[in-house]
Amino acid sequence: MSTGCQKTTSRAIPTTRRVTINDAAHMPHDYSTTPGGTLFSTTPGGTRIIYDRKFLLDCRSSPVARTPPRCLPNIPGVTSPPSAHNDKAHPPQQILNNNNCTAPTDKTAGEDAQFEMDI
Amino acid sequence: MNQFDHLKDDDSGDHEDPVANREEKSDTDSSSLNNNNNNGRRKTISPGVGEHPLQYNYTFWYSRRTPSRPANTQSYEQNIRQIGTVASVEQFWRFYSHLVRPGDLTGHSDFHLFKEGIKPMWEDEANKNGGKWIIRLRKGLASRFWENIILAMLGEQFMVGEEICGVVVSIRFQEDILSIWNKTANDQVTTSRIRDTLRRVLNLPPNTIMEYKTHNDSLKDNSSFRNTKITL
Repeated sequence: MSTGCQKTTSRAIPTTRRVTINDAAHMPHDYSTTPGGTLFSTTPGGTRIIYDRKFLLDCRSSPVARTPPRCLPNIPGVTSPPSAHNDKAHPPQQILNNNNCTAPTDKTAGEDAQFEMDI
Repeated sequence: MNQFDHLKDDDSGDHEDPVANREEKSDTDSSSLNNNNNNGRRKTISPGVGEHPLQYNYTFWYSRRTPSRPANTQSYEQNIRQIGTVASVEQFWRFYSHLVRPGDLTGHSDFHLFKEGIKPMWEDEANKNGGKWIIRLRKGLASRFWENIILAMLGEQFMVGEEICGVVVSIRFQEDILSIWNKTANDQVTTSRIRDTLRRVLNLPPNTIMEYKTHNDSLKDNSSFRNTKITL
């Protein structure tokens, strides 16, 4: 459990604040407010771009995230060559990570609730 | 890509030129990079249009050691290879989805994901006063834990300012080890917060042993995972 107070250093108020929006429904309806409210706040270390796990996992299924990277080095046993373009026709690929994103009910892509496991 | 072809195993001597990393971004990107070949100049990696930027750019590295070879700084530096650098969530998935999962790596291998500009070595400027938390995993857990620790780091869940340097998953003979490196080993507020965040994001059972080791100590005993300080 975390200890009580910690010393913070003083800093000038940052002039911009970045808030990540995951969903169009979170956008405010009028131009005079910002997402997350107009109340200014900072996180320790200043304003930061923060994403939760679920959001990151959801980004995985976008088309932009699925094209093979260019210039991926070919290290056998480690990288898959860029030409092995698995189109999302649910290929039965086993060893690569990208097979996970095709399963809609894949438990890792779902909620944040993680199950217990003994290490 | 040809320069990486003979990287198949440890024996290729050079290429340890980090600026030879020539990563490309999304095809639709708008950034002003030119695609000329590098004559050793590093290109700036930035998010493509419409992509979600990360707080920092991160570089993937891979290393492998033949157990019979002695480990020393020079051979270590030659055995680590950059795989690619990412500046956005989408770029991260592009690389990650094309890498074998750690649980499927063979031999004495590691994946590292470090902030751009920080080498996953004790001697790097950012690491010399630092240390790492390690968690030992029985076989079968590495892939899932690696994914969760990466997502926590990329998503800025640790809330320790600039302190995080990177994370490593180390595949070893009978166990696998997850590590998270931070810049200032004696900053206990930071190291405690990292520890607490790890417990939460990895959903560790309450009695999980977590170990901290300073990189100075690692340098002294030339070992990553022995002689750590144990925390319950």
